Formats: sequence, structure tokens, C-alpha cells
Amino acid sequence: MDWWVWLIIVIVVIAVIVGGVIAVQAKRRAGGVIINDGKNKRGDRG
Amino acid sequence: MSTLIRASELVKLPVVTHGGEDVAQIKDVVYAAHGGQIESFTLAGRGLFAGPLKTALPWGKVTGLGTAAVIIESEDDLVPLAEALATSAHDGPGRGDVLNSQVLTDQGTALGTVSDVVIGILGDPATGQADVVGYEILPAETMNKGKQRLLIPLPDTIAASGEHLIVPASASDYLTDDLAHFGSAVDAFRAQLGEKS
Repeated sequence: MDWWVWLIIVIVVIAVIVGGVIAVQAKRRAGGVIINDGKNKRGDRG
Repeated sequence: MSTLIRASELVKLPVVTHGGEDVAQIKDVVYAAHGGQIESFTLAGRGLFAGPLKTALPWGKVTGLGTAAVIIESEDDLVPLAEALATSAHDGPGRGDVLNSQVLTDQGTALGTVSDVVIGILGDPATGQADVVGYEILPAETMNKGKQRLLIPLPDTIAASGEHLIVPASASDYLTDDLAHFGSAVDAFRAQLGEKS
């Protein structure tokens, strides 16, 4: 294969990997609301 | 009534120190199962490649809370995640994220699933207290309310354990779709509960 075909393949692979990492990290950063049934750090409500 | 905000408005807010340093962003809002008091925030790093951090921000360390950022004194105010969260927060059935949990009345009627949580902040964040005062729900089909999200008030003491969130049946009488008037609905609902007890 011509060199430019390999270049395109490498660029596409790198783009997929970077995109995948960004997507995974974005999902890991996604927030929520968590119930904590452990000890209350600030004491009971008044 | 206190200032009311949705938990989703806090998520992804940057955490900025008094020195102007952007140290993290809010990931999760953590509240106590018994009492509903906001305890802390879990954090994520800033930037495209950043993931969750192993530190958390206790509510007591927040000195300012606006629509654009959460302000803290310094990065030293952050604590280890394990210290902020009880070990059971992510373990066991029903622990963890309440979003999409089913809301049931204490008489067994399904009201809907949680799409957001409403937080009431009393006074200044530096000295005040923040509590979960209601849920925003996607109504169950049996309620014939369509797909309009509704706000349901919670009692002062929340029953929030297991996979379902239990509310008194009378809470459904105070359903509203307007956050501006939700504070008065919470007050009226809690007053009604107080009269019964």
C-alpha cells in the first residue's frame, strides 16, 4: 500500500483512541446524587 | 423558605479557590439518607481527559455558591473521598445514585422516577445548611400526568433506603411543576405532617 494510506490509517486509529478516551472520561465525570447512609459528618439537622 | 436549586445545576460547576485557582468540578451531590442534609460533593478533574478525583468537598467548606462556580478557601479544604463518604455509600442494594430510582408512597402507589433532586439552602453557604427538600419526578403512567416533570415535597425526615424512595401518600397532594412556588408547597406539606403527628 502507498505510504499515504498507512498515514490515514494511523490518523484514524489515533483519532478513535483519543475520542474513546475522551468519551470514557466524560462518562466517568458525569454526576449524580448519592445517598450516604453512613455517619453524618456535620451532625444531625436541627 | 430557603433558596431552592436543582442538584443538576450544581453538577459540573467549577470549584474555585479564593486565589482564583480552578481546582476541580462538582461530580456528585452526596446527602444523608436520614435527614436529607447535604454532606459533601464528590469531584472530577477539569479538562477533556480528566476523570473522577479521589478527593471530596465537604459542604461546610463551601464559602460561596453561585450559578457559575462553587467557591472554597483553598485546595487544602478538599478531603479524601473515603473520609467524606461512608463505606456503604456505593455498596449494597439501593445505595448510590438516586436518579432514576422509583418513588413510592407509603401506601404502595408508584409516583414516578427521580429525574432530579431539589435542594433548599438556608442562609449563606458558609454558615447555612442545605437539605434535600424534594424530588423532581417523571410521573408514572398511572398518574395520567403526561411526561411533564413534577416536583414532590419531602418530609423533614427522609425515608431513603433500598431501591425505592418512600414518601408519605399526602405528598402527592402538593405536586407542582413550578420551582418558584415549590418552597411554599414544601412548607405546607411539612406543616400538614406536623399537624398529624
